[in-house]
Amino acid sequence: MRSKFKRTILGSISHLLTDSIGNFLTRFFSKRLEKELLGELTDECLELLLEGMELAFCLSKGYRRNIKEFKGAYLLKTGDHLVVTSIVFDRGKMTVYEDAIADWDIRVTIKDVQAFWKFVFSRDYDILNLVLANEIEIDGNLNYIYKFGFLARDLAHRLGL
Amino acid sequence: MNPPRITLKDISREDLPRVADLWAAYFRAMPEICTERPRLITEYSLAHDLFRKTRISILDKARLYRHVLENRTAIVRHTHGREKGMTLFELNDRSLFAGSTTSKFKGVLLYPEFVALTLWPELWTLSTRAANPYYIADQDVKGLNEKIFPPWMENTIMELTRKRCYQDNREKYGPQYAPEMKLLERIVFFLASKPACISHTIPDFSKAIHLGLRHLINEANDKKRQNSNESKKEFYEAISEVLEGIITYSKRLSAKAKKMADRERDGDLKQELLSLAEIYAWVPESPARTFREGLTTLWICWTAILLENANLGLSLGRLDQVLFKLYRDDMEAKRLTIEQALELICCLWLKIGDHVPAVPETSEQLFGGSGSNQAITIGGIDQDGEDAVNDLTYIMLRATELLMLRDPNLNARYYPGKNSKDYLRRLCEVNIRTGATPAIHNDPAVIKALRKKDETITIEQARDYGIIGCVEPGSSGRSYGHPGAILFNLTSVLELTLYNGRHRHTGRDLLISKETGDPSTFKSFDDFRKAFEEQARWLVDQATTLNNLFGKVHQDFYPTPILSAFFEGPMDSGKDLIQGGAVLNSSGAAIIGLADVADSMSAIEKLIYDENSIPFPKLLGALQEDFKGYEALHKRLMNPDKTPKYGNDDPMAEANAIWIIEMLDRLFSEKENYRGGRYRVGYWTMTNHAGFGRLTKALPSGRKAEENFASGITPVSGVTPCLLETLNSVAKLPVECLSNGIALNIKFTPDARMLEYFVPYVEGYFDSAAGTRDGGMEIQFNIRNHQDFLDAFANPDKNPGLLVRVSGYTAYFKDLNPQMQIEIINRTEYLLSTGKAVDFPPIPLPKKT
Repeated sequence: MRSKFKRTILGSISHLLTDSIGNFLTRFFSKRLEKELLGELTDECLELLLEGMELAFCLSKGYRRNIKEFKGAYLLKTGDHLVVTSIVFDRGKMTVYEDAIADWDIRVTIKDVQAFWKFVFSRDYDILNLVLANEIEIDGNLNYIYKFGFLARDLAHRLGL
Repeated sequence: MNPPRITLKDISREDLPRVADLWAAYFRAMPEICTERPRLITEYSLAHDLFRKTRISILDKARLYRHVLENRTAIVRHTHGREKGMTLFELNDRSLFAGSTTSKFKGVLLYPEFVALTLWPELWTLSTRAANPYYIADQDVKGLNEKIFPPWMENTIMELTRKRCYQDNREKYGPQYAPEMKLLERIVFFLASKPACISHTIPDFSKAIHLGLRHLINEANDKKRQNSNESKKEFYEAISEVLEGIITYSKRLSAKAKKMADRERDGDLKQELLSLAEIYAWVPESPARTFREGLTTLWICWTAILLENANLGLSLGRLDQVLFKLYRDDMEAKRLTIEQALELICCLWLKIGDHVPAVPETSEQLFGGSGSNQAITIGGIDQDGEDAVNDLTYIMLRATELLMLRDPNLNARYYPGKNSKDYLRRLCEVNIRTGATPAIHNDPAVIKALRKKDETITIEQARDYGIIGCVEPGSSGRSYGHPGAILFNLTSVLELTLYNGRHRHTGRDLLISKETGDPSTFKSFDDFRKAFEEQARWLVDQATTLNNLFGKVHQDFYPTPILSAFFEGPMDSGKDLIQGGAVLNSSGAAIIGLADVADSMSAIEKLIYDENSIPFPKLLGALQEDFKGYEALHKRLMNPDKTPKYGNDDPMAEANAIWIIEMLDRLFSEKENYRGGRYRVGYWTMTNHAGFGRLTKALPSGRKAEENFASGITPVSGVTPCLLETLNSVAKLPVECLSNGIALNIKFTPDARMLEYFVPYVEGYFDSAAGTRDGGMEIQFNIRNHQDFLDAFANPDKNPGLLVRVSGYTAYFKDLNPQMQIEIINRTEYLLSTGKAVDFPPIPLPKKT
């Protein structure tokens, strides 16, 4: 990931930061994610979201508490397998892989990354419509998607959005 | 018995200041998330390793609930509510009852065992969401996110069932797939309630009120000593545990009231607190001696039942019967005045409405605006077949009229010839004044339906029916029949028939059910009906199989000691309700889309097979295009003079409706539930006819894509111009196939003389026409000016208390989603003096965002 270096550097000083400074720095380094959250939905939205989450886990103690005891494996893919992303949370760490893991707790098959974004962030009828229009299909334990939904929205909350 | 001489003119809300204060606060307050129950449940479950167990015993559960009852906050008086804008406001809470279902004045109950985790993604936005926001404090967001929700991720009823489904299907489909579960998650076929609750039902409060909980504990202890069967011994011990917990909770309330009284300087307030302390020290442990004590026992036991069972459709039963003796004794001894009795009932009604169910924003679109659907039943006949209407019946009607709350949901029984016409007139009058309540149930038809459906029910038990949730009848306190277990979208059966086992929503390439043939190749309407029945059989099989799987998971993980303690059967059999311990057992399906499907069948029969006026492919083409380019066909389909419509006394339309009803009853009746009972079928839809409608494409009836379905058993809006014909059509339906209840929604234009026409219409609808028909089972009303609805639609907050009848329950108009609001506005509206529909242009559906 492009921001790996940034995360490594910032992560090493994160224990010195208060939660609000951690959130401030996450926001500072997540301008492109902010634009996505404000509605400029591009093909990079998923990547930016995951980067933003990784960054926030590095910088913010409060955000890190979300996954302190959490173990969960997510497989996200498009029907045509052009996009495949696996996200593994394991006791305080988030790891993103660009290939499919076999042992997932939840598998989300999406039409495109925007559909996943809408599924996570939209309210109202969008979620039902995405399911009904086969733009998103979920297999496995739904509570993992609720947890992920909170992680994503908690990040937005910390970014002041 | 003559009705007591109390009318609105005699006692207004303002004459009952404590009621007026509470009522104003009730409408001012927004619901607040209460995390106390889930926190106590989770902490105890972690401390006692319940999450690791492969089966949770009834004693495990009983100890858990005792822990909660002994540790929950004992609230005698609420001091603050939270208003829109999230600021606190002070309360003048002088309720005649202490205790509450949550720690908030108006609380949102969370059950992490069921569906509370669906709120997880929106915890930060719950307070500000557009549809029915709930206040939640930041520390509660953190508590739920970090401590309470995580242990439940693998342990909700939904996920425990999924795990079991996956295991059962592993050989056939691989490690993580189950066809029934997948079908449920496709949303458009059926919904299952069991992941959200154990059951809707009516407990039996009579023993608790008249004998006291100590008597029940002694009985359980005796039975435990006398029994050698270990599981029964465990059951009786569990009953003792929970009842001791309830007594402790009451005594804690008493002690707190006493402490508050000691500090109180105002003489009146001090005395009120001392009264509370005295009452809560005595009941529910001991038999109630007064009407107020009886109500207190009921209230405290009700809060305990809601601690165990999700607040979705649990109902209180025939309170005018259960409490009448205490009321009469007090009145005869001159310990009570009518005004005091009314004040007590008003305070109880407001307490009953002190909580709302937790609904995620997406589900608001399907179920928005629903309260907890706590039905109360009044009137009718008693177990001996005699008139059961009494003074308390009228007092409860008055309380409903004064308060106009959505919860409790008042249901009135009426037995023509046994109950007086004055009583029926009063029921109609209250409907006119409230605009929406009570629903009226026809005793002979309902009793017949219950008896025909279940050969084990006695006539006395059938006569003692109460209404559950929305409109579902069940023998009070002894019939454990989850009537809303399955919400069955009938239009999906039609869809699978039209598209040879496929559904337009899931894609024309994906075979969902089984192939029953391309309808274009069918030679006759009979062929079409055979295919329809095959598809219905398949879908009924899927829905009941999954419901039974959920039920078995309940049996292993969610025993119900509290409800079992207040029910007829478990104490005798030593068996939990969910293991089949009740006297009567059943499950229920509610059918959504009857009128739309019946009209679609009639359109197909008439146009394609009778007249041969259009070929099937053309009809399918019109559906595909949502009738764009097929305007003439659409016009014809919507014209009741040219295409038969259910609700117009038309033989073809009625034959199709009856064929569907009988067929579904047969298919569901063949199925046995997980407690050894049968499935019953009903036609009430809550808001699902709007929700499912929004998700469904055009139908052969002429209904366009996304338009609402007709509600309950009601004919399609706008195509039934004559009220009498509509009522006759419904009154001819065979009630033995409708034993899970019906909701007939009728809308009237208010007018000064409407009462004189109102009563005869209801009587006529209920009439069995000298045995040639069963008569209508139920009827419910919306009585408002069209303009009032339009104003409320434009300015929802202008009239926050505008009560409406949805399809089963009552709701506040402002809480409904726009689709549902429009459905109510567009319902056929009749002027009673002419019996004809009033012509209002339908308002269009909101555009999707």
